[in-house]
Amino acid sequence: MLINTGSLILALAGLTLADDPAREAANRVRDVLADKCLACHSADPKKGGLDLSRREPAWQGGENGPAIVPGKPGESLLIEKLESGEMPPGRALKPEEIAAFRDWVKSGAAYEIEPVIARRAGPDWWSLRPIRKPEIPSVKDRAWVKTPVDSFVLAQLESAGLEPAPEADRPAFIRRVTFDLTGLPPTPEEVDGFVDDRAANAYETLVNRLLESPRYGERWGRHWLDVVRFAESHGYETNNLRPDAWPYRDYVIRAFNRDLPFRQFVEEQLAGDALPDGDWLTRSATGFLVAGSHDVVGNQEPSAALQQRVDDLDDMVATTSTAFLGLTVQCSRCHDHKFDPISQRDYYGLQAVFAGVNHASRDVARDDPDARREAEVVRAELARIDQRLDLLEPLARPHGSGPARSPIDPVRNVERFEPVEARFVRFTIRKTSDGSEPCVDELEVWSSGPEPRNLAREGRLSASSSLAGYDIHRLEHLNDGRTGNARSWISGEAGQGWAQVEWKSSARIDRVVWGRDRDGAYRDRTASDYRVEVATEPGQWRVVASSVDRAPRVGPAERLEANRPEWDGLIRKRNDLRKRLETLGSSIKVYAGTFTEPGPTHVLRRGDPTQKLDVVAPSGVKSVRPALSLSLGAPEAERRLALARWIGDPANPLSTRVLVNRAWHYHFGRGLVATPSDFGFNGDRPSHPELLDWLAAEFQTNGGRLKPLHRLIVLSSAYRQSSRLDEHARSIDGDNRKLWRFSPRRLEAEEIRDAILSVAGTLDLSTIGGPGYDLWQPNTNYVVVFTPKIDLGPDTFRRMVYQFKPRSQPDPTFGAFDCPDGGLVAPRRNSSTTALQALNLLNSRFLLDQSNRFGERLKREAGEDPAKQADRAFRLALGRPPTADERQGASALIHEHGANSLARALFNSNEFLYVP
Amino acid sequence: MSDRPLSLGGHRLLDRRRFLARLSSGMGGIALGALLAEQNLLAGEPTSAVGLPHHPAKAKRVVHLFCTGAVSHLDTWDYKPELLKRHGEPLPGGEKLRTFQGENGNLARSPWAFQPRGESGKMTSDLLPRLGQLADEICFVHSMTSKTNTHGPGEIFLSTGFTSEGYPSLGSWVSYALGTENHDLPAYVAIPDPRGVPQQGPANWAAGFLPAMHQGTAFNADKPIPHLNRPGSLSEADDRASRDFLKKLNDDHLQRHPGDAELAARIASYELAARMQLGAPEVSDLSGESPATRKLYGLDDSNATLAGFGRNCLLARRLLERGVRFITLFNGAFAMGEGNLNWDGHRQIASDYNRHGPILDQPAAALLSDLKARGLLDDTLFVWTTEFGRMPTFQKGTNGRDHNPSGFTAWLAGAGVKKAFSFGSTDEFGHKAVDRVVDVHDFHATILHLLGIDHERLTYYHNGAHRRLTDVHGKVIRDLLT
Repeated sequence: MLINTGSLILALAGLTLADDPAREAANRVRDVLADKCLACHSADPKKGGLDLSRREPAWQGGENGPAIVPGKPGESLLIEKLESGEMPPGRALKPEEIAAFRDWVKSGAAYEIEPVIARRAGPDWWSLRPIRKPEIPSVKDRAWVKTPVDSFVLAQLESAGLEPAPEADRPAFIRRVTFDLTGLPPTPEEVDGFVDDRAANAYETLVNRLLESPRYGERWGRHWLDVVRFAESHGYETNNLRPDAWPYRDYVIRAFNRDLPFRQFVEEQLAGDALPDGDWLTRSATGFLVAGSHDVVGNQEPSAALQQRVDDLDDMVATTSTAFLGLTVQCSRCHDHKFDPISQRDYYGLQAVFAGVNHASRDVARDDPDARREAEVVRAELARIDQRLDLLEPLARPHGSGPARSPIDPVRNVERFEPVEARFVRFTIRKTSDGSEPCVDELEVWSSGPEPRNLAREGRLSASSSLAGYDIHRLEHLNDGRTGNARSWISGEAGQGWAQVEWKSSARIDRVVWGRDRDGAYRDRTASDYRVEVATEPGQWRVVASSVDRAPRVGPAERLEANRPEWDGLIRKRNDLRKRLETLGSSIKVYAGTFTEPGPTHVLRRGDPTQKLDVVAPSGVKSVRPALSLSLGAPEAERRLALARWIGDPANPLSTRVLVNRAWHYHFGRGLVATPSDFGFNGDRPSHPELLDWLAAEFQTNGGRLKPLHRLIVLSSAYRQSSRLDEHARSIDGDNRKLWRFSPRRLEAEEIRDAILSVAGTLDLSTIGGPGYDLWQPNTNYVVVFTPKIDLGPDTFRRMVYQFKPRSQPDPTFGAFDCPDGGLVAPRRNSSTTALQALNLLNSRFLLDQSNRFGERLKREAGEDPAKQADRAFRLALGRPPTADERQGASALIHEHGANSLARALFNSNEFLYVP
Repeated sequence: MSDRPLSLGGHRLLDRRRFLARLSSGMGGIALGALLAEQNLLAGEPTSAVGLPHHPAKAKRVVHLFCTGAVSHLDTWDYKPELLKRHGEPLPGGEKLRTFQGENGNLARSPWAFQPRGESGKMTSDLLPRLGQLADEICFVHSMTSKTNTHGPGEIFLSTGFTSEGYPSLGSWVSYALGTENHDLPAYVAIPDPRGVPQQGPANWAAGFLPAMHQGTAFNADKPIPHLNRPGSLSEADDRASRDFLKKLNDDHLQRHPGDAELAARIASYELAARMQLGAPEVSDLSGESPATRKLYGLDDSNATLAGFGRNCLLARRLLERGVRFITLFNGAFAMGEGNLNWDGHRQIASDYNRHGPILDQPAAALLSDLKARGLLDDTLFVWTTEFGRMPTFQKGTNGRDHNPSGFTAWLAGAGVKKAFSFGSTDEFGHKAVDRVVDVHDFHATILHLLGIDHERLTYYHNGAHRRLTDVHGKVIRDLLT
């Protein structure tokens, strides 16, 4: 119904316009004024003193003098500014719009309606209206229609007098759809199989195979990771790594492969921790919330610390609202949205939903209760083994000579001695590894006897001095039971200092354990010359251990020979138990956020965290119906769950439209709405609004699953068109918005790398999921420094979605291909062409190595004959045999310069890098 | 409404496609490729685009010397006699003040004496005597402020106008707006310090959501562009044979896909790469420079870091001479233990800065005076900055200064800015900017203005907003302009 009415109005309008060119110009001018001028030049705001909303002030002009001289476009400043492209800033008008302004001024610059009102999106904005399934339009060329998608596309083409391109041939189609659905090229055998498949449903068979392949989730999961700014480091100051963020990536890939209903996909990512069902990977889905940047610096300035927190929350609000709703809610952080019906209260209502979410890893329990019980047993056993291992440490020989014990370890050291009575224990440092003030993260003093306890926890601490001004380095951290640099003590003296524990009464002890940083992140400030002393009376110190008998270098730890067999046995047992624990998977650390009950959320004046205004309750965006509003004190998890249900509600008009449009965007290189994360006033308008709504409704009918949607799209005639250029069509619709051909596209960074590995025969498809392969040399600096590894072995020959992905640190070879770096959400990738891309593909070690491997593969599979190698090479890399001419040239190249020279050329060729 | 406003770049890309489409119908790939490269369509866009420059430019190119780690303004450019007088007294009203690392001690005078310099008599410290001697060329801004007190975000803020990563850098905005003037080098080059890259490294020269062609290409005098050269394992003959065959493959492919501008552009990108393989080593080869120049820049200094930074400064001059549009020249690397590799003097500012000062002073002064001597300063803007300043007090229990984003100094020299001029000021102790306060957005707006760009009109659509370098802020500091 909607469309029919719409076209009717359009038809009538067309008639009127055609009748009166002057009025046509005036109408057009009014629209442009409303859309592009009045935001700055109206009664308020009145930039440059110019108000274009009414005739009188407009004629009068602003600070630069009269803007309009009626009847004389050549003398009107307004026309001059428009023609120079100076106005509107950055959004120069189209020639026909400028022509309309000229005509309008020429004919007197009349204002039929005053004032002209600046247009912005209201609650009736197109994307906020309920989704209604439109009727499928009728078309002339009914034979072209393969799926209902085609009726919508063809109806527009026919009304524009355009013809679709002829169908792509089968080799082109299989290459296109295989890259599209799996991110990989088809093998020559797959191409042959499809070309030779005479069955009526050959296309359906092919598409079903691709959708069922695990490669599908690896490709489409990557798209979603772009949209949600997934990366595996914190960004900001230190860019410290998040080695336990990968489960979210695996969750996403699995969700696509399982084709989860959209509702469930939303709920799991926002509140997977609070759902009754689901395994550990489901509970890792809240990695979505904390996939963005996070400032980990312990800022001591109070307002700066507040700012860090609200920036974290802003990232969650912005990502959730752009990814799921296509709304730029983050623009309302400081004031009501300028263009869309989103208030500042909406922003803080959404912020309240996330107010209890913290950036952190949490232990995610695995599922099997039997396994959990067994894991507890195993862990207890491991603790006992650690205790026994400590007791096998050789006794310290503080007065001995020569190394008898393992070297000092910045992580953890055991000082064992004969049981001794002690009321005081003192750890004195006389030198440090780097000359700076020593740091100790925990000082443990263990009682002797059958059930040893860490007595330091109950003792009183004192020290020679403490480094002033650092809240993370304090004396009381020495016995707080918590380890790591952030809970440590540093003395106030360069290279020395002592710390002491004192008890009310004495006890028998036989062990002191200390470390600089048990998390292993820091190695500086480590005591290198020290002694451990005990006393029962003040001042009567006796040395029980010291560094004098520590081995100087890292090497195999020396043990007392007599204990050797037992030691080895315990280590073996410990390794076995650790492995067992992993398989039991009792729990796993995942960077998926922790949750606490939040305090009240305030509206912040201009977004400033020190200027609190009203308290707001958690809510959705009010103009998005059905409205969501919770009570002020709603429990934390309930907030996220309610938001998820609101987003996933089929009645929510935005979320489905946005998702369906994303799918279209990835299939065709551009969405029906060309701004996939902005469905507001500043975003694009749909090129095929009815098609968008039909797809959205159909998607909901199909249970909110993507795979049926993919079938509707990739099996359509619209998608099956060839990419041939038609000059006539281009002159009418240069951007191909009406889809008169399939727009070819350059492969994305991941596709290029994966395709090279695939063609070279080296791609490891069997290693699925788990921690990513790492391109970077390890380092433990406070600010992580990323130095690429020189040699990349087969462990890195996995799909690029499994590459460990630190923020702001592009892959040294493939980052140049517009690969998002996780700094911001990336709903759309650029596709640029640069000389650095050419250099990377010509000269990188990766490419030369894979060219060699491709060359070896050719010899292996095609024998020594260069012509046969050339045949195989073309079929593998390009999906077609060479022409006679190409075969001759390629054979000569192989003959004189080796098959790897041909491989290198093919990997760089446009035909390889572009999807036909 | 299929006619949504395109960004300027969008229009230009579109125009370029139409232009290429017209060209490609009648010509073979080779001629076309050469033509494309002539038009500078790959490393950036020529300046003929609609509306740009927005007004006549004073500066054609920029070298931005960025000292990382937060240089203390109180020990370099911002002379505070009050600190001499009240050394050792508490900062009035500062008893409870907590800054980045926590509590502060008493006011502390600079360990370096200040002297009047040049004809203007500008007071600068003995820490940087050679740069001080050039004070008559310099336009100081003493009232800078930042909105973060943390290095990474502060450096990113200065580099991109945002405190979190992901946004385009100043240099990439300029490349996007003005394109390139040269034929065989990138439009935008980032030169990392010999000691390493700054905090968050590439985020400081990233293109963000702008097309990748506008990203800064990072190399310095000792580390060439990655993958620039044919690896040793590949013979020259093999290399040439592969590339000849590639050319044929691509030309044939273009014949089969007439009119596709992107394919043609990619062919041209390989030709540009080939020219860059010749041009980049040429510009990095300092062996032809005179002994006087070598001496001026300190290339043979016994301090290897000074000599390395000297080579980088000389490289910057050579890049500017060859028409590179924007250079970010870094002095200092990431924080590695306080004050070790950059200007982060928390604990021992005297010994730290006595190490860092000479590394900066001679080479940077050489660059500025050499640009002047060669006439390049007439249309080149020289920018000196750091991410924020430091406290007038020493941190409690130390002999160093904590972070201070409330007031610090930056300066400009060269095209379009006043000489021997000082703008704005901090309070009597140098703690907070009080007079004609400037923020980083204003500073950016002024740099763009000098290049002929109106910062409010240089936009790019990303994720729901027409993004600007200056976000929704920024005012051109007109008082600085000639």
